[in-house]
Amino acid sequence: MSGRRVRAITRRLLQGFRRDRRTVALLFVAPIVILGLLGYLMRGSTSAPAVGIANQDSGPLGALVADTLRHSTRISTSDISATDGDAKLRDGSLVAYILFPSNFSQQAQSGSVAPEVHLEGSQPGEDSPVIQALQQSMISLASQVAGRSIRFEPSVKYLYGGASYDTLDYFGAAFVGLIVFFLVFVITIVSFLNERSQGTLERLMASPLRRGEIVLGYMLGFTVLALVQAAEVLVFALAVLRIQNHGNVFLIFGMEALMAIAAVNLGIFLSMFARSEFQAVQFIPLVIVPQVLLSGIIFPVSTEPTALQYVSDVLPLTYAVNGMRDIMVKGADLSWSALQLDAAVVAGFCILLIAAGTTTLRRRLG
Amino acid sequence: MSDAFAVNVEDVSKSFGAFKALNGVTLRVRQGEIYGLLGPNGAGKTTIIRLVCGLLEAHAGTVTVLGRRMPNVGVLRHIGYMTQQAALYPAISVEENVRFFAAINGAEEGVREALELVQLYDRRGSVVSTLSGGMRQRCSLACALVHRPELLLLDEPTVGIDPQLRVQFWDYFRRMAAQGTTLIVSSHVMDEADRCQRLGLIQYGRLLAEGSPADIRSQGGSQNLEEAFLALAGRKES
Repeated sequence: MSGRRVRAITRRLLQGFRRDRRTVALLFVAPIVILGLLGYLMRGSTSAPAVGIANQDSGPLGALVADTLRHSTRISTSDISATDGDAKLRDGSLVAYILFPSNFSQQAQSGSVAPEVHLEGSQPGEDSPVIQALQQSMISLASQVAGRSIRFEPSVKYLYGGASYDTLDYFGAAFVGLIVFFLVFVITIVSFLNERSQGTLERLMASPLRRGEIVLGYMLGFTVLALVQAAEVLVFALAVLRIQNHGNVFLIFGMEALMAIAAVNLGIFLSMFARSEFQAVQFIPLVIVPQVLLSGIIFPVSTEPTALQYVSDVLPLTYAVNGMRDIMVKGADLSWSALQLDAAVVAGFCILLIAAGTTTLRRRLG
Repeated sequence: MSDAFAVNVEDVSKSFGAFKALNGVTLRVRQGEIYGLLGPNGAGKTTIIRLVCGLLEAHAGTVTVLGRRMPNVGVLRHIGYMTQQAALYPAISVEENVRFFAAINGAEEGVREALELVQLYDRRGSVVSTLSGGMRQRCSLACALVHRPELLLLDEPTVGIDPQLRVQFWDYFRRMAAQGTTLIVSSHVMDEADRCQRLGLIQYGRLLAEGSPADIRSQGGSQNLEEAFLALAGRKES
């Protein structure tokens, strides 16, 4: 063991980094960006879930609890009529509504209250603040019904998902698409970069091939690979992991295919901005991680700080994940306008990237 | 007129940022000849070749290839380009590489002949990453000529290959020229110059001299091409 030889290796390594400013910048910028984003997401969630209150109590106590709920910081409330509730859950304007039955005051006097909690249910993170807020507001009852403790037995109903759903059912739908998107992106960016570094791209450019033909050929090649992968992931998720699915399997597959095409073109486009495979891999923390954090996979977009919601709204992965959840959890089909929008945005993004990839290919060789 | 020449480079300048790679270069290559582009590393040989196949656009002057002003996509199918490094796909076989370049030029019927010409037909199933450097060069040459181009651009094709293979390569080149193909061969090795019909000597992005090896000898005042080149280079600098 020679200290000098070890030092030589260490020195050579650091010398390389000194010239690769981009890698150094990434090493020190990426952690701050990712941690900052995560912190902002977890602590900065100012927007409380929108909850409707339908008070049918013939006695005074329902109104009392409803008033306490209105002052809760965990949720933002609005008064609705019970008949509108499900429609508002379906169109996404509410994540939940709470219904106080007509005999709510009598229930309280007899020592056990059962308000109805109706949850939209497709996003697991949104449920707990609703239940918590309701539970807290029950404290106001205690002063009214002196001398006895009141049991809190809400009846919880789900529009989608429900008690039979576990965490994997919610995340599975999003991850099925995400895995394909991520892996296809990495494979494409590296192999397109190889084309550049091994000199074959220069050869292609000196051939009658049009730039659009190169991009399209790549897209088809990797899409074929991606589709086989997507099929495998889907079969594993449904047959082995038994992730619940209420939608059409072919629709899921179609959505996966769209995501794969987007990933291929994102890879081709971004490979223009990398000089080495090393730099290509650096796009993962910059492009993929923030998208995963902001796409609503882990934190529902509706509970994000408002500023981040604007960012989420322009990220294609947000729509892709939303589409996958709509299909698998809600059983959406193509007649749903929400799914039409998701599919259209992802498809539009594909077209944008194909154009961008083709244009950059030209510029880099000029 | 320029039509008599396969390649006509007229007063071409090209800069990369502040660096002037070519400064008013004029050279003409006749149909069916082997034209040697000679000069030290960094003289501008590769830049000329890349201008001729349309990968670069000149800042000043014109490049005409087979009667058409470059860059022009239509001419590209008549050009074969062998890059300096053996640009091949390492994960697929020799034949698959040659077939790919044949297909993008719409000439798949030439695969076998190209492989036989570079004597790789017996090794056509070998994956490129397992080949020796010389075999890769040969495979790269096969990819460049598989579509029977009228103009073949060879950027230092004999760098790093053994003398035996070099003799073989020049043998291929002469056979192709005899069939009417125009070849531009760049090199920094002077002993290759004698194998060319005409030479262009390049230094610091300028053309020092142009002519047959005999012309260059008399212009430089030496029987040795290398000395003649150095004499011409020195004269230009002073």
